[in-house]
Amino acid sequence: MTTKTDTLIPAADITDNQSVAVILEGKNILICRTNGEYYAVDNQCTHQRASLSEGRIRNCFLSCPLHGVRFDLRTGKPIGELTKVPLKTYGIIVSDDGNLHIELD
Amino acid sequence: MSDLIKVKQQGEARCEGISYQDLLDDEKIEVPSYLRENTNPYMGNEDIDVARWISRDFHEQEKIKLWPKVWQMTCREEDIPEVGDHHIYEVVDQSIIVTRTGENQIKAYINSCLHRGRLLRDCDGHVKEFVCPFHGSTWDINGQFKGIPCKWDFSHLDQKDMSLPQVKVGTWGGFIFINFDENSIPLEEYLSPLPEHFARFPLHDYYKGAHVQRVVQCNWKVGAEAFMESFHTLETHSEILTFTGDANSQYDTFGDHVSRSVTPMGIASPHLPNVTEAETMRDILELSGRMATDSAEGHEMPEGLTARTYVAETNREMFSEIIGESLDDATKSELEDAILYMLFPNTQVWTGYHGNIVYRFLPNGDDHNSCVFETMILMRYPKGTKRPDPAKKNILRPDQAFSEAPEIGGLGPVFDQDDSNMAAVQKGMLASKKGAVSLASYQESRIRHLHQTIDKYLKA
Repeated sequence: MTTKTDTLIPAADITDNQSVAVILEGKNILICRTNGEYYAVDNQCTHQRASLSEGRIRNCFLSCPLHGVRFDLRTGKPIGELTKVPLKTYGIIVSDDGNLHIELD
Repeated sequence: MSDLIKVKQQGEARCEGISYQDLLDDEKIEVPSYLRENTNPYMGNEDIDVARWISRDFHEQEKIKLWPKVWQMTCREEDIPEVGDHHIYEVVDQSIIVTRTGENQIKAYINSCLHRGRLLRDCDGHVKEFVCPFHGSTWDINGQFKGIPCKWDFSHLDQKDMSLPQVKVGTWGGFIFINFDENSIPLEEYLSPLPEHFARFPLHDYYKGAHVQRVVQCNWKVGAEAFMESFHTLETHSEILTFTGDANSQYDTFGDHVSRSVTPMGIASPHLPNVTEAETMRDILELSGRMATDSAEGHEMPEGLTARTYVAETNREMFSEIIGESLDDATKSELEDAILYMLFPNTQVWTGYHGNIVYRFLPNGDDHNSCVFETMILMRYPKGTKRPDPAKKNILRPDQAFSEAPEIGGLGPVFDQDDSNMAAVQKGMLASKKGAVSLASYQESRIRHLHQTIDKYLKA
């Protein structure tokens, strides 16, 4: 079942190539913005569970700060040999009032 | 005119009819000297042993004598725009981290941890420091050793040079080159006369608009050679003969490392005597994939104009608009002909004002019967605007057609036709009882030139 969260944060608070970590229903989720679009993924690298908060974002890709695994923010899929496990992704929308909402399973 | 044209030419025989130099005489704009060069020294006519393409032994010689000695193109500078960005360049069994260490500084490290030898990086990406994923040995971006966990267990490394070994790096035209050989000639000398010939095409300021890669089932040289002569147009690409002066092409060699073919476009092949100017114009726009437009709709041939002139002027107008610069000093030849240079051993670059094609052929790992073919299209963008981000590499599966890559447009179907030969040449050479190939004296002279330069490296 999909639930829509309450108002999170104003979309305008995140600039391009930045991220914000939030805890929602016990899940640590990283909200990222790149090329004007918003994405939400688990804030934990699938290689060694490192936090991705400090990871660099460029062109829909988030690099883990620990070993540089790159994840495609659109699909969660990793590039390279260090992990083949994708990051969990969440639906995210900008509501009419300009706030971000995340869809949790 | 250059002294180079005084050298003894490859045989005397040329296709009857108009030559490329004759076409230059018809230019209304001053012809730059690089187009007037016409140099094809005699290199012999002997058959060439197929072992050069199919034998494991030859591949092993290239591994020891060729790849460790030549300058090789790794990627574009725009592929690693920020400090810490890196590209992993692999050739046969070697792996190199090509990384940006400063706004105007690039270094290339041997991609192997000095602790247990693991690859430091598995793929392209971005890091703030290089941390080996195995035990955590760490180097900063400049290759200086920062440490290893449990340092108490490594006191024997204290006196050793633990900085990452580097290979030579050079740049030209926005490309990053490396050379494993500390004693190699400088890149500038190796490239000559390429920079001079590309003075009108500042490739460092172009951006990579498309990048497609696929494994092809042939030796890397079979792949490269598919693009080094226009003789195959007649049988392999017959649909483009209405606008391609295939047999009128000029072939040049410059020293050991550079060669060129110039195939006039916008004129019908000498093999097709009865093509009208209107047919030439229509087909080049529809089929070439390199003109400013890929549709002939709305284009009518004005009375008294040749297709060559009409298409060049169309390109001049549309390219100028795209790049926001006047192209008044561009010749018709530069606006439409296929002027293709090869930089030894495996990189080929077209001239042009918008949409310059680049090819690269590398052995597919340690397999001498297959190769990795990459093509890029370098594009210009309006002066004063931000350079667009480079295209992400589209890696096709071996069973996919090049025409499945929409970003290369009309080139896809042409590559598919070339592809239909490449694997078949490899297989046919393996089956050959003759055991050798015979090259055309002139039209395939660049292939002989490639092999003669390879021999210089193998025998050095």
